[in-house]
Amino acid sequence: MQKDFKSDYAVSVHDLCKSFILSHGRPGTLKGLFMLLNKSGSEKVEALRNVRFNVAKGETLAITGKNGSGKSTLLGVLARVYKPTSGSISINGRLSTLLDLGAGFHPDLTGVENIYLNGAILGLSRRELKRCLDDIVDFAELHQFIDAPIRTYSNGMMMRLGFSIAIQTDPDIMLVDEVLAVGDEAFQQKCYAKVKEIQQKGKTIIFVSHDLEAVRRVATRAIWMEHGRIRMDGDVGNVLDAYISAYGSPGELSNAG
Amino acid sequence: MLNELKETIRYRELLVNLVVRDIKVRYKNSVMGFFWSLLNPLLQVAVITFAFKGIMRYNVPNYSAYLLCAFLPWTFFQMSVLDASSAVIYHANLVKKTYFPREILPISIVISNLIHFILALLVFFVYLLVLGTPILATWVLLPVVVCIQFLLNMGVAFFVASLNVFYEDIKYMATVLLNLLLFTLPIFYLIETVKGSSIPAAYRPLVLKLFYWNPLAYLITTYRKILLPPFNVAATSTAPAIHDIPLSYAYLGLAALTSLIIFIAGYAFFNSRKWKFAERL
Repeated sequence: MQKDFKSDYAVSVHDLCKSFILSHGRPGTLKGLFMLLNKSGSEKVEALRNVRFNVAKGETLAITGKNGSGKSTLLGVLARVYKPTSGSISINGRLSTLLDLGAGFHPDLTGVENIYLNGAILGLSRRELKRCLDDIVDFAELHQFIDAPIRTYSNGMMMRLGFSIAIQTDPDIMLVDEVLAVGDEAFQQKCYAKVKEIQQKGKTIIFVSHDLEAVRRVATRAIWMEHGRIRMDGDVGNVLDAYISAYGSPGELSNAG
Repeated sequence: MLNELKETIRYRELLVNLVVRDIKVRYKNSVMGFFWSLLNPLLQVAVITFAFKGIMRYNVPNYSAYLLCAFLPWTFFQMSVLDASSAVIYHANLVKKTYFPREILPISIVISNLIHFILALLVFFVYLLVLGTPILATWVLLPVVVCIQFLLNMGVAFFVASLNVFYEDIKYMATVLLNLLLFTLPIFYLIETVKGSSIPAAYRPLVLKLFYWNPLAYLITTYRKILLPPFNVAATSTAPAIHDIPLSYAYLGLAALTSLIIFIAGYAFFNSRKWKFAERL
């Protein structure tokens, strides 16, 4: 039984709920703790309520919604950053999160050293990294800078490197927060081509985005989140059309986001 | 807890990478990187030696070696705790975005401090050769004592690393407490000097017991006992006699047990909190 399930879905989410305790005061200090002992200042926020969906292998799923709709929380729970309050998630295959802007980079280390560090954070072994080191450097187009400390890099170079590491790591399931393509126009084209290649390999991509253009271009299916619930789940064209007619044109949306 | 341990072992590559990064960053920016980080305890010990030997007339031979022998493990403890207190916050970006066993952060901090401590010990042995103190059979106990201290440091590091995510003033409290500890532990003085001190005779056994029962105090004393020769100094007109108190394996065993308990408690505490980190940062 378990086996059948495995062959069907990459990700399966059952009745997922996640609530946070939000406190109005700042209990970030011991003083704050004592002041909050009466507990009047805290409030429970239900970020996800009974979210339920399956993602087939090879599917590219986009999660959209306004700020505060729960889409980032959903991605966080999928990435195992948050523990669900109730419900469960099954994941089949290796999952990796595309870190924005190389969140794990250290400025004093060289490009190569950062590739190893960031790769290890994504769960790759040194041997695997050694194998795809050249591909990462090639993709990022950073040959002559790869032995220089990251602090000498421009923002664009750093984004390219971070993106190249994540995209070359070859996970079964890729989680992407906001960024599917970075850098200038030419590099973005390369990113989209790479995403296409990953899709053709039958890998699963789940991404959260405000960028409706990117969603339409890449995703095969979309989930529209509202107030922690799934409002609509289906073909990307249908969901986006409904989304736009509910909230206005894409231009207004990107301003809001 | 066994599962947690397995998961950490599965992520050992990340642990190694973080330790390598810490060491590289520490020693990278200057050719004399290692030298600079040693200079601080060496200078302190030089000044303290001058104060105790020159001004307070302590007549223990090679007193600077006894000071350094306690000061290096103290630095190991202090830096492990201070660095660990900001370990999770420093990596907030990673903790909020990706999954990995959170305990890797404080563990990597204590391991890189351990490596630094071992390098410092090597320099210490060179210093012993220069002074010409005898080579002792008890030197072979050093790895055991270092391991016990590692457990103790790790346990305290787990507590401060997880608490500091929720209460940012833990870091400042730790700094204050460490400063107090520095003078209440037998670092600048020897446990033997309690006997001839101005502490009322009735309280002296109690003070000694506190040194025996406090794992950090006894570990620091153990480093002295196993690495340096015993000494007996006769009373002079300015200073009372100092009689050597030999190493007690019973108290060392007690220190090991306490360290182990602190380690397990710290690890359990950290694990109970670690899934709330991302929600708090």
